[in-house]
Amino acid sequence: MTTTTEANDAATRDGSRFFWHGTVLRHRQVSERYARVLLEGPKLPTHIAAGQFVLLRAQEDPCLPRAFSVLTTSIYGIELFVKSEGRVREKLSASPFETVFEVRGPYGQPYISKINPRCQYVLVGGGSGCTPLIHFAEQHPDLVAETVYGFRTGDAGRLLPGVPILAESEEDVTAAERAAELWKPGLGILACGPEPMLRLLAQRYRRQPDVYVSLEARIGCGIGACLGCSISTTSGPQRVCRDGPLFALEELPWLM
Amino acid sequence: MADVRVEVFNRGFASPVVLASGPAGFGLELERELDLSSVGALTAKTITLEPRPGNPQPRLVDCPCGALNSIGLENPGVDRFADEAMPRIAALPIRLFVSVAATSPDELATLLDRLRGVQAIDAIELNLSCPNVNGGVIGDDPREVRAFTRVCVQGTGRPVLVKLPGDAGNHIEAAEAALAAGAAGLTLINTLRGLRIDRAHGRPFLYREIGGLSGPAILPVALARVYEARRAFPDAVIVGTGGICDVGGMLEMLFAGANLVGIGFAVMADPELPQRLGEELSAWLDEHGFDNVTQVTGIAHRGGFDVR
Repeated sequence: MTTTTEANDAATRDGSRFFWHGTVLRHRQVSERYARVLLEGPKLPTHIAAGQFVLLRAQEDPCLPRAFSVLTTSIYGIELFVKSEGRVREKLSASPFETVFEVRGPYGQPYISKINPRCQYVLVGGGSGCTPLIHFAEQHPDLVAETVYGFRTGDAGRLLPGVPILAESEEDVTAAERAAELWKPGLGILACGPEPMLRLLAQRYRRQPDVYVSLEARIGCGIGACLGCSISTTSGPQRVCRDGPLFALEELPWLM
Repeated sequence: MADVRVEVFNRGFASPVVLASGPAGFGLELERELDLSSVGALTAKTITLEPRPGNPQPRLVDCPCGALNSIGLENPGVDRFADEAMPRIAALPIRLFVSVAATSPDELATLLDRLRGVQAIDAIELNLSCPNVNGGVIGDDPREVRAFTRVCVQGTGRPVLVKLPGDAGNHIEAAEAALAAGAAGLTLINTLRGLRIDRAHGRPFLYREIGGLSGPAILPVALARVYEARRAFPDAVIVGTGGICDVGGMLEMLFAGANLVGIGFAVMADPELPQRLGEELSAWLDEHGFDNVTQVTGIAHRGGFDVR
């Protein structure tokens, strides 16, 4: 039997992956903590499926690369949504135009390959976890019933024109609580964000079908070899980078 | 072009570059990233008798010049490895070392028995130095090293490389014990035991708290262990592993006396690197007037070379 991972590998085995030295074309600090970063390069694909990620490392930096979800792709390059902390992020924020980055990917399974495509979803994001969901909504608008993109403060509201942001501290409601107001039977849930948010959703919706969570783990190689991001699932250990990052909630009893 | 092929264990290797046990998994994912036939050997990730789920997350945390890992020997167990993974690994165009670990000599004997009929294994790497499992590091105790190595050599018809820790303090004694028990060579070193603490919460980052440090930070330690071992054991095969991220680090390891050079952390950072290292080594040898890599192996023990 061909697994989802193998099928998607076959689909991208034709050289559509890239390993590329690139530079930042545009850097917009959209809030105190977040920036939108547009990477450009001659070999970049103009399409990356929502849910997939790229690995970035500043050239000559003696550390492992960092995984970033893709906000959007266009003829200009790949746009990322970057939180201003961590080594790669510091370099992206502090001297973006002078730094050459090694960029490789895309890695991970597209969300669309792992969900029930006959269902509509409430997208629930927290912080930078909103990034792949915004990308998903752009690529699959017909599968989106509602969106909740939660941030601690409202200054991330400039993230994307026309994308409504929930400022949790100002409205005194969390993304998980707002999602509960919007969800109704028959809808699925697609969530990405901090683990406490995912746990709240998992506990509330554990008996519902079509609930999926996108997990974060420190990714090492990005290709499924090193097992640095391996997690426990009902079908044994699975790799966030290669088998995920999206998993059906029922596969993750430890989250419920 | 200078010849980067080496001969070890009466076998030819395409280059001195060995994919170290762990980061390369079973090599199957790397097949898409690079031309494996240009790389010397793959060391398949450590296999144990029973399946191991590995340690809970977090397993990996950044360090100033590397990373701390705590994978915990996640593997499917020897039976599934032999039945399911080996047929695919054997088809890869690369020499194969298989890393094994056990908690007792008896368990090791059983494990090796299950591998007895498996073809395409060029050598066994006996991992006596994983810092990420319960029960302590076997390689810290030369008597244990001797006992495990003896069983390993008796239990396999293949050459045995014993992988030792770099932070035990009695590494020459441990290496001597391994070689006296019949090991064909040494893999030096494993990751070094280390800790990072999350400043935001005052707690260790890793679930298991202590992990193994890899990356460029450990290169000088690995070089020292290889240099000392080569001086003590002129004829032993040595796979020098630890912190090599570019051709410069690889050259130092060869100069220190390594016959083969393991790449671990750097494969995670750049999966194409092992292939490029062979090409860059050949170019460096050409530029410096050497015909083949064996001319520079251990050259630091022979007074080095004048600028060419």
